[in-house]
Amino acid sequence: MTSLTSQQRKLVYLCGILILLIPIISLGLPASGKDSPGGTLTRLRTKYELGESDLGKVDPSGAAMNLVLLGMRGVAVNLLYTQFEKERDAKQWEEMRATTESIVRLQPHFEKVWEMNGWNLAYNTSAEWDAVEDRYYYVKVGGLFMKRGVEQNRKSTHLQYHVANVYQKKIGNADEAKYYRNYFLHDPDPKFENGPDPAFNPDIMDNYLVAKKEYIRACQIEDTEHRPQHILDRTLFRSMPARCQFDYAQVLQKDGKFGEVTREAWNEALSDWTTKYGQEVFSIPIGDLNNPVKFDIRLGMSRDDIKKEIANPDDVVRVTDMVDRYRKMVNYYYWTTRGNCESEQTTAEAHRSLYEASQKYKSQEFDKALELSFAGMTGFDKILHQPEYNELKSEDTLVEECLLGIRVWKGIQELGQLKIPNDYPLKWLEVEHQGNTQLQQNVERAYKRAFLQ
Amino acid sequence: MSLSGPSTDSVIQIRNLSKVYRDFWGRPKVKALNALTLDVRPGEVFGLLGPNGSGKTTTMKLLLGLLFPTEGEIKILGKSAADVGKNERIGYLPEESYLYRFLNAYETLDFYGRLFDMPAAKRKERSEQLLDLVKLAPQARHRQLKEYSKGMTRRIGVAQALINDPDLVMLDEPTSGLDPLGNRDMKDLILDLKKQGKTVLMCSHLLADVQDVCDRIAILYGGELKVMGRVDELLKAQDETQILSSKLSPEAIRDVEAVLKKHGANILKVDQPTANLEDLFLKTVQESRERPGHRTVKEGTAS
Amino acid sequence: MSFDPDLMPLVPALRHWLIVIGGLSAAAILVSLLSMLVIHGGKCLQLFADEVQGFLTDLVSISIRRVFALAKLTFMEAYRRKALLVFVVFALLFMFAGWFMGNDGEEITKPTVKLYISFVLRAITWLTLPLMFILSSFGIPEEIRLRSLHTVVTKPARRLEIVLGRVLGFTALGSLVLVVMSVVGWIWIVRQIPADARSMLICRVPVRGNLSFKDRNGQDVEKGINVGDINEFRSYIEGATKARAIWTFSGIGENSLDSEGNLHIENQFMAFRSYKGDMNRQLLFDYQFRNPEKNITYTTQAWPIVEKRGVTKAIPRKLEVPSEGKTYDLIKDFVTSDGNLIVEVSCIDREQYLGMARIDLFIRLPDQNFAVGFFKAVFGIEMIMILVVLMGVCASTFLKGPIATALTFILFILSGEDTHKFMDQLIGGKSIKDGWQGGGFFESIYRIVTHMNPTTDLPANYAFTIMQGVDWVLTFFLWTCKQVIPHLKYFNMQEYVANGFDVPFDQSLGPCLLITLAYVLPCVLLGFFALRIRELESK
Repeated sequence: MTSLTSQQRKLVYLCGILILLIPIISLGLPASGKDSPGGTLTRLRTKYELGESDLGKVDPSGAAMNLVLLGMRGVAVNLLYTQFEKERDAKQWEEMRATTESIVRLQPHFEKVWEMNGWNLAYNTSAEWDAVEDRYYYVKVGGLFMKRGVEQNRKSTHLQYHVANVYQKKIGNADEAKYYRNYFLHDPDPKFENGPDPAFNPDIMDNYLVAKKEYIRACQIEDTEHRPQHILDRTLFRSMPARCQFDYAQVLQKDGKFGEVTREAWNEALSDWTTKYGQEVFSIPIGDLNNPVKFDIRLGMSRDDIKKEIANPDDVVRVTDMVDRYRKMVNYYYWTTRGNCESEQTTAEAHRSLYEASQKYKSQEFDKALELSFAGMTGFDKILHQPEYNELKSEDTLVEECLLGIRVWKGIQELGQLKIPNDYPLKWLEVEHQGNTQLQQNVERAYKRAFLQ
Repeated sequence: MSLSGPSTDSVIQIRNLSKVYRDFWGRPKVKALNALTLDVRPGEVFGLLGPNGSGKTTTMKLLLGLLFPTEGEIKILGKSAADVGKNERIGYLPEESYLYRFLNAYETLDFYGRLFDMPAAKRKERSEQLLDLVKLAPQARHRQLKEYSKGMTRRIGVAQALINDPDLVMLDEPTSGLDPLGNRDMKDLILDLKKQGKTVLMCSHLLADVQDVCDRIAILYGGELKVMGRVDELLKAQDETQILSSKLSPEAIRDVEAVLKKHGANILKVDQPTANLEDLFLKTVQESRERPGHRTVKEGTAS
Repeated sequence: MSFDPDLMPLVPALRHWLIVIGGLSAAAILVSLLSMLVIHGGKCLQLFADEVQGFLTDLVSISIRRVFALAKLTFMEAYRRKALLVFVVFALLFMFAGWFMGNDGEEITKPTVKLYISFVLRAITWLTLPLMFILSSFGIPEEIRLRSLHTVVTKPARRLEIVLGRVLGFTALGSLVLVVMSVVGWIWIVRQIPADARSMLICRVPVRGNLSFKDRNGQDVEKGINVGDINEFRSYIEGATKARAIWTFSGIGENSLDSEGNLHIENQFMAFRSYKGDMNRQLLFDYQFRNPEKNITYTTQAWPIVEKRGVTKAIPRKLEVPSEGKTYDLIKDFVTSDGNLIVEVSCIDREQYLGMARIDLFIRLPDQNFAVGFFKAVFGIEMIMILVVLMGVCASTFLKGPIATALTFILFILSGEDTHKFMDQLIGGKSIKDGWQGGGFFESIYRIVTHMNPTTDLPANYAFTIMQGVDWVLTFFLWTCKQVIPHLKYFNMQEYVANGFDVPFDQSLGPCLLITLAYVLPCVLLGFFALRIRELESK
């Protein structure tokens, strides 16, 4: 028997508890920022990507936590989704976001959960707000959310694709794109001091370039992890990085940036498209549905390449046919042509003339505007008459730009009560697209928006 | 409510009292008491005797209102058993001292004192008095009751029963679990209470306890009253006479025998009186207190 | 759901209470009389009279000193039996809470603050209440089992005093636990939030008005337009029309102004755009003060709304109308003779909509200290705790400990807003007379099994009449239960504090106090009665 008094015994117990606490803390301490990587378990967890036990912001006193502790994770998630729906219906976005956080903490390796909730935040929730800053904030939240999903699921091609998608489409193509793209580089939150949010745009790049990088990562994941994606046809999926580069080049023009940077962008887009994307190998099944033969094709293959690689003349015809079909699907020729065209000096000049014409028109320097728009029209007239750019005659954005140039040119003359000559450059293009009311409307709207504000 | 009977000034009047324990469904299970009628008079020590399960404790609990009678009537200090007001003048020592084990002696007495609406000063004074009376060692008084021995618990139990200086003291097995010394103290206390003019109702299955202190006893068996009367009368052997003298020589005994024979008496037994064990124990303890280290060794046993 | 506090209708509530108490006691008396008649026959009236007399005697001979002695005993009992070990759990929880709630270096936002506050208040609630469930329900049964109650009831202690003493003792213990925990919790919150973000710990004192609407033609309507939300909590007014949201505040006077004589009005509207318009500018609103008695109106300038974060505008007391060369006094000119101030809100932008609910606009009096609101919420927990103690002690006078705990716990679980709504649905409205869709228990089972449409009448025969009768009895029983089960609608003060509001007296504190008081009398009396008619010698 021990000779300790009750008080001494209690002290011994207390010491025991404290001593036992030391390993518990050293094992279980969660990471807090970069300086402290956390306890052993946390580090192991990070190492092996087993984030489940990191319950994070699940309210430790909430009902969900109790269920988790009782091993009823599924039930807890169900409960959280019910709560999520209630909060969504009541438009309690912050609360909904917190619930979302809890859900992913419980199901960190469920890709669809990340995708659905990230999408919901970036697209649905952001649209519910009135102020553009608020909208952007939620786009950012959704994007970052999916990025975290990628961190937790490094082998997911899908999630990586959706991250890129937010950068490309939500920021670049939204109605608020003008603001979003600006905020992407100059976050409205004062704490970023007019710079970008380092979490969302760490390299301070254009959103399209970030999107391109993210798409490339998605392609890499597909290659290295052998986790095929099921969102797009693979040929389309692999074209995304190059398409982002095209988007980037286009948007530079739209923003009125011409010259070397833009031409470089077009050049790079062209090379991405033809030398990188064009040389990607796609394994295409050809022939009988039940017993197809697989051929390796590249969209950039010429007829000669095909002949060189395939012996059977029947197969040559079929493969050529197939390659053609895929090229049409991804608009391979169009983008090649466009790239070629835009990398030319004359094209850049023509773009610049039309853009500057609009600017001059806005500042009511009509003489200069008239001169510039005519120069632009002449430039495009010449370019589009070149047979290799034949295809561009039906390309909407370019045609729209040209028609808008004509509209400006005509507008100035109407203002000066001048007689519009019977013939002028690009008149044939105008005539060609007369029946396209959608296009006409777009031009008219753009004209009004730009000049009648 | 009316009670008939000769002694209307009785402290306790029980008339035709029955108690049937029922099970969950209300069916009779045990008849614990059957048509008991008795009176306890003021100033007497009344003992309820009987083996275990004879209905002593049931009677006492009925008197206190802890149980409700199935039939019959009770009047205690002129009031009904259900009337809490009667408790003002009653002290009760339960069979085992069911006290609060987490309180110490002072807190216990203070608590019960408050239940009698006693002011603080009086509670304090009375506590000290009682703890001295029951001879609870001073160093034990600040310890929680859960650390007490059975005897100590009993003592504090008695103290709480007397906190209100009651007119009627009800003691359920007062000597159970006490050592002979405690037993003696308890008996002295009861006699002391009697001297103070208080009425004592006690129940026990130990005849010796009752014999020493009770004026009257009732013996219960199987829930029915079997015998009731004064103790001396009940215990007196009517056809025997006992003579006690200092030690006589064999010749003197022969003379005495002769005298007795002359009167026609039949001698049943001649020997030296022996004290019972209890007496001896007490004497020894008493002596060893007065003369520490003294040993009494009978001749012929130490060789 | 957004919380939408409202006033408790005092007089109807009191009347309802009296009806329920009266009804239940009448029923109890009737049942006991009948059972006494069966057992004792003719003597029953005499016995009943004795019982009533004893009951009343006990009531009047209650002694404060005895009650306090018993309360102190209860407290000591729990204390010496280490009930306060709950603090260890509490301490552990808070030691490690930072781990789970740590914000990984993220900035502290309003929701984070809200999470901290609700976490602390909920942790306090869920550590205190289970303790009280168990302590209060086990106290008396345990004393009966150990027979320590014998030494008490054989003293002049009334059973009523025992019940009261228990209630008081547990309340005192619970209050001590609450006070310690809430102070620690408060310190934890304040320390968890960095000094520069502490301004988020606010305690606004709102004066809330009643909301009504006018449609685009200026006609009074109950609600605005629904722009397609599932949740109809907010309704919308159309811009550049006569549509208005009208708040009527009562009891407005000079004391509603701040020290500089400004009236602060805070709003938090939502926007709905039917076209995108100028994306870079928020929709605009303005206020109009209107006094129908003097027939004057003052329109403020237009301000852009700020969704979710809200806009607070200080309205100066002197309202100048330069075009008319007039100056109005906000209080003298616009507060009507019965103390009402009418604030109308309109949306400026054409074909755009502003959405609002009653809680979205209020007059903001000078803010309280955060601690005030926090400890008021703790007081709310205290009230719940007292209710639990009352129910627990009451249940424990006639049930064994575990069962009493279960009963108390179930009553507590059923006391939420949702369960009450569910019970209302089952009963078929506030009153049993309203009838119910598809019938009661048996009728609905019959309809389900036979695939009978709820609108089809049941066949008219005795079997169905009896069935409906039984259903009526069952439903009535449910109705009775609903009346007895506490309704904790007003007790959720944590919402106020977490949302940065002070806890209002008239909408929360007051009703809570009243509801708790309403349970004191019945619970104590029922406990007393149960203990009185009970043989304490349990076999």
